Amino acid sequence: MSDLEQARALAHGALASLERSRQRIDDLNVYPVPDGDTGTNLALTARAVVEALETTRAEDRAALVREVSRAALMGARGNSGVILSQIVRGAAEALGNAEEVDAATIAQALRAASDAAYRAVRRPVEGTMLTVVRALAEEAEARVSAAPPVPELLTALVSHGEEAVARTQEQLDVLREAGVVDAGGAGLLEIVRGIAAAVSGEELPEAPPSAGFAVEAIHQELSRYRYCTVFVLEGDELDATALEAELEPLGDSLLVVGDRSALKVHVHTDDPGAALSAGAARGVLEGIEIANMHRQTEQREERLLHAAENATDVVAVVAGAGNRTIFESLGAARVVEGGQSMNPSTAELVAAVEALAAPEAILLPNNSNVILAAEQAARAAEKPVEVVPTDSIPAGIAAMVVFDGARPAAENAAAMREAIEAVATGEVTIASRDAVLNGLAVRKGNYFGLAGGDPVAEGRSFEEVARAVVERLLAEPREVLTLLRGADAPELGPLVAELAAQHPELEVDVQDGGQPHYPLLVSAE
Amino acid sequence: MQLTAANTAVVVDSTADFPEAPERFPNWRVVPLYVRFGDESYRDYVELGPEEFYARLRTATELPTTSQPTPQDFLSAYEELGGFERIYSLHIASRLSGTFGSARLAAEEIGGGRVRMVDTETASAAITMLGLAIQRRLEVGTTDDELDKLIDRYKQEHGLLFTVDTLEFLARGGRIGRARAMAGQLLNIKPILTITEGEVVPVKRVRGNRKAMQEFVRDFTGATTDGPDLKVGIAHADAPERAEALRKMVRAERPQAEIEVVTTLGAVVGTHAGPGTVGFFWFLDDAGDR
Repeated sequence: MSDLEQARALAHGALASLERSRQRIDDLNVYPVPDGDTGTNLALTARAVVEALETTRAEDRAALVREVSRAALMGARGNSGVILSQIVRGAAEALGNAEEVDAATIAQALRAASDAAYRAVRRPVEGTMLTVVRALAEEAEARVSAAPPVPELLTALVSHGEEAVARTQEQLDVLREAGVVDAGGAGLLEIVRGIAAAVSGEELPEAPPSAGFAVEAIHQELSRYRYCTVFVLEGDELDATALEAELEPLGDSLLVVGDRSALKVHVHTDDPGAALSAGAARGVLEGIEIANMHRQTEQREERLLHAAENATDVVAVVAGAGNRTIFESLGAARVVEGGQSMNPSTAELVAAVEALAAPEAILLPNNSNVILAAEQAARAAEKPVEVVPTDSIPAGIAAMVVFDGARPAAENAAAMREAIEAVATGEVTIASRDAVLNGLAVRKGNYFGLAGGDPVAEGRSFEEVARAVVERLLAEPREVLTLLRGADAPELGPLVAELAAQHPELEVDVQDGGQPHYPLLVSAE
Repeated sequence: MQLTAANTAVVVDSTADFPEAPERFPNWRVVPLYVRFGDESYRDYVELGPEEFYARLRTATELPTTSQPTPQDFLSAYEELGGFERIYSLHIASRLSGTFGSARLAAEEIGGGRVRMVDTETASAAITMLGLAIQRRLEVGTTDDELDKLIDRYKQEHGLLFTVDTLEFLARGGRIGRARAMAGQLLNIKPILTITEGEVVPVKRVRGNRKAMQEFVRDFTGATTDGPDLKVGIAHADAPERAEALRKMVRAERPQAEIEVVTTLGAVVGTHAGPGTVGFFWFLDDAGDR
């Protein structure tokens, strides 16, 4: 096998092993903050290495080492990912210099990995990934004199690693209280397990069970800082130490790693803007990710409580408490507050999408003014995102009805687009100024009704305007009429009674949507 | 061995919702499951009929539970069929109930391969319809080999769609699988469900009964062509008007099809599906073309 083939086999083995334990590791995650993403971050970091190896054109071993190191760094996600990237770099460099891989080389590689990992962290804490990588290095060094064959050494390292991971619970108070082992350490062990299996050519042994930790683990204290902020800084002569000094007062869990041409920065802070400014003053920012960790933690609790795993999750932009409940009851994983005159930013949408548990996402803007931001967010996000261009809340509801979390995003998006084609929507709002629209004179302060975007009625009587909108929507045969009552809107009782009498076949569903600006949102399908 | 209706019996459990089987066919038996309200236990259909069950469900303060027949119940049935050389024992999906396991213990007790165990991987009238397909072959003479092929094809090809008023009943019995995520109590959401490999799985969800019917039409017409070989069954839980609407739909869309079963879900299946459930089943049986 060539160096490249060998590297691919090892990386694939490591990734496969991580992937199958990803959720379990996420759920272990309480340190440094219980943000429930260590497994995912490690897997994504490993995947970046795998992808680089798939496409590399490296001609020699030195180039291969550089590419692997850089891929790990650029793909590193979260604290644990960044530390892993340094472990990869340390090990890859040591292996790159070796003539042949034997027990001694492996010991050197693990020592180099351990040293690099410790260097990456400003204040190393025992009972973490660092402890585990150091324990592996020490064990390998202790066995070198017996010169065991490589597969045998790796097997011994896996079982020693298991003990080291188990010990983390006693080394770190927060882990002991939570009754869990360190998530990063557990992830590192899975990587070694995957590599050992790849080297021996054996099937991966059974994954460790995910049960068996205390329920308290899901009720850890939140980090005092809200935003996990990550970016890559590219430039010339970058000074990691100076940047670190500048970022340190902003928060905790600070990591600044890399070389003079590229630095990866990770910090938990309440002021992500200040962190980005500090970076932008020194070079070009890339791969910015800002995640609300409090939300991540809530989600993790949700996941542990419901243990549901979706292929696709939905982020919906919704205004009104009642509407939010409707979207949630239909299975929207995240609701971003927003809509008319309060459009969410692209960054908010990206953060919401990135925080989803599922690997793919559907984004429902539910307002024509949010569609563009949603499309930008879809491009910026790391996971595949499908924007279904719903231009109103009722359209969004029609889309949600056909959502099936077990199916991939593209399939869901196709079904949702079909669903919104079949629904006609309308609304009653209050005119904000005098105007003539499509020949309809609209007076400021009057009720103003639209159906399918066309003005259909205006006047002082809410009921008359609402009736005109509904009648327009019922011009074609329909089965279901949905009325979403806005905040402070007049009662709908008389209108509903009238509809029931005139359209006995129609199923009329009235809900308190609670949206501002629109006393009534309507859909007919 | 040539199998005929004279030497081969068919045993179903009561979840086949075919209580009149022994009256229709002398070689058939039904082994009842049990349904329990509080401390009182009843044999499905035998001691508690569907009408009485749904009436009681409406006023019950505590919801009923169900349990599978004992191996002894099956053993008694098999022994009663001592005059038959072969018994085909057809049961509700083993993923949905322990009934199959219980029957298998009894079959092992009988030994000698006389009882052929079939996990139908489905429920209700779909079990009956497989039994009827087997019966058609027994009446003209068949073999184990031919029946095995029929059973395999039935599992692969039979269609089944149903909808429930609420997923609560399925969820409470733990028989919901990944359909759990289909909930959506606020709007009048109707989940369209099927049973695949013995598991209740969501097909899609729609709003309102009329859309549920439209979805039934779409899937049914997409999956079938009209002809006398098309066999259809319909089942409902205390919703005769919905079953009638389905019957009319099948008549209109597939006028040549034979609607061979229209039944009420019994107490046991009704406990897990809930009142208002309606569903239908179809299978293209080319037995007459051999």
